Amino acid sequence: MEIYLPIAEMSVQWIVILGMGLGVGFLSGLFGVGGGFLLTPLLVFYGIPSGVAVATTLSHITASSISGAVTQWKKRAIDFKMAGVMLAGGLVGTAVGVWLFAIMRRAGQMDLVVSLTYVPMLGIIGGIMLRESMRTSRARRSGNAPGRIHPVNHVWIHGLPLKARFRQSRLYISIIPPIVIGFLVGAMSAIMGVGGGFIIIPAMIYLLRMPTNVVIGTSLVQIIGVAIVTTLLQATSNYAVDIVLAAILVVGGVVGAQFGVRAGAKLRGEQIRFLLALLVLAVALKLLWDLVVTPADFYSIGGS
Amino acid sequence: MRRALLLAFLFLASPASAEQLVSGVSQDLIQITSTYKGSDIVVFGAIEGQPSGEPRTPRDIVVVVRGPESDITVRRRDRVAGIWINHDAAKLSGMPAYYFLASSRPLKDIAPQNALTHYSIGLQNLQPDTVHSHHDYEPFRQAALRHLTKDKLYTETGGVEFLSETLFRAHVPVPAGVARGQYKVEVYLFRDGEVQSAQSTPLFIDQTGLERRLYNFAHNQPFGYGLAAVAMAVIMGWISSLLFRRPN
Repeated sequence: MEIYLPIAEMSVQWIVILGMGLGVGFLSGLFGVGGGFLLTPLLVFYGIPSGVAVATTLSHITASSISGAVTQWKKRAIDFKMAGVMLAGGLVGTAVGVWLFAIMRRAGQMDLVVSLTYVPMLGIIGGIMLRESMRTSRARRSGNAPGRIHPVNHVWIHGLPLKARFRQSRLYISIIPPIVIGFLVGAMSAIMGVGGGFIIIPAMIYLLRMPTNVVIGTSLVQIIGVAIVTTLLQATSNYAVDIVLAAILVVGGVVGAQFGVRAGAKLRGEQIRFLLALLVLAVALKLLWDLVVTPADFYSIGGS
Repeated sequence: MRRALLLAFLFLASPASAEQLVSGVSQDLIQITSTYKGSDIVVFGAIEGQPSGEPRTPRDIVVVVRGPESDITVRRRDRVAGIWINHDAAKLSGMPAYYFLASSRPLKDIAPQNALTHYSIGLQNLQPDTVHSHHDYEPFRQAALRHLTKDKLYTETGGVEFLSETLFRAHVPVPAGVARGQYKVEVYLFRDGEVQSAQSTPLFIDQTGLERRLYNFAHNQPFGYGLAAVAMAVIMGWISSLLFRRPN
């Protein structure tokens, strides 16, 4: 049951890779995140070179995001205008990210930068979501109407210029915050091989105050755009996209994503946010653990 | 480089010994296909002629298979402000990507240290051609040996069997993760701690078929390859959403 990967130049158990694609695809359909922040570490753990893992995960993200986006599109749950504005920032961010990627790789500090940025970011986002979803859940159980989500410091956001109307999101806000969010997520996408949904979704809900029902579809469209461009950049600059690995991941991913979307429809919004918060916190804890625990071997071998 | 010259000299002008080595490899080309999961090659040979001196002392065979030269970067973590970060690094150039050694007896019983160092026989005698490091590179070299041994890319065993007085063979595993390129199969005949005869045979490991074409595609037309990867992902994602459409 082994198959040889021409770019990674190694043999893998394809059934294991398919399983990873399925599992991560399920989560991506359920939460509307690409799942790259789980899949990239999984592939590296399996022994795929990290460059190939980062670049190839983007194909999986593209496919499962498209699968999810089509479903959301049929439900008219996509704000294309918002996605377009964020994507504009995202593409600039991707270019900057690829440039930073090269610098950090040369310095051998890739892992450190990833961990140092992931830990506080995931910790804060996970913590906020966990608290909010539990409070909403408790309010619902005690019979009170669920309280409105309290936006984080939204006053200054409303004072920014260049306002535009986002009909689908029922918002009239400045285009600067979505562009900045798109930029940051685009840069992360190139550096870490993640789509960035786990950042975009909380940012859309808590910073931009978009309605939860359009958040997932809209973030998927932004993620698809960034993932496609990053795949092309990785293929041309690093020759790191393994199409055989991508095909196996994609098959698992799209099937998993469909089951995820279906499972998500059965859950309430705050339940989904609660589960996503736990997942985000788990990843943050794992990264923190690796940073502070004395390593078993002080030496590691990296690519040239 | 010095090693290469030494070997060339040795292979061309065999010492004035009556003993000669004749060896062969079961395969001189390994093709990596989509189902490749590692394979075995057999290195075999015979010792011809009679030893010149008496009394007869034991003779030994050492088989070395080494792979394409590569640059290995080794990094060391240090604790800075409570977290472990990659601090120092050493780049070891000219180390083999794959090294397999089989011998008929433990190396230390076969030849003195300086002879082994001369021919870089034995993992401990593998030295990089050049080193980029601000520190003593020895701990970094040891770490590289340790990691590559764990990945089964570096091996040192006693796997040479004598089938008779003069016939010998060794099984060489070629794991699935080996680099493509030109390898060398070297066979040494030792007696009294000195190389009596040696032979070197090239071995090629390469991808073939679809794998080869995909690899070439990725490197010759990277943009087209990237587009193909994107198209594959987009089409499969879209098809799946059609296949799994909810009946309503």
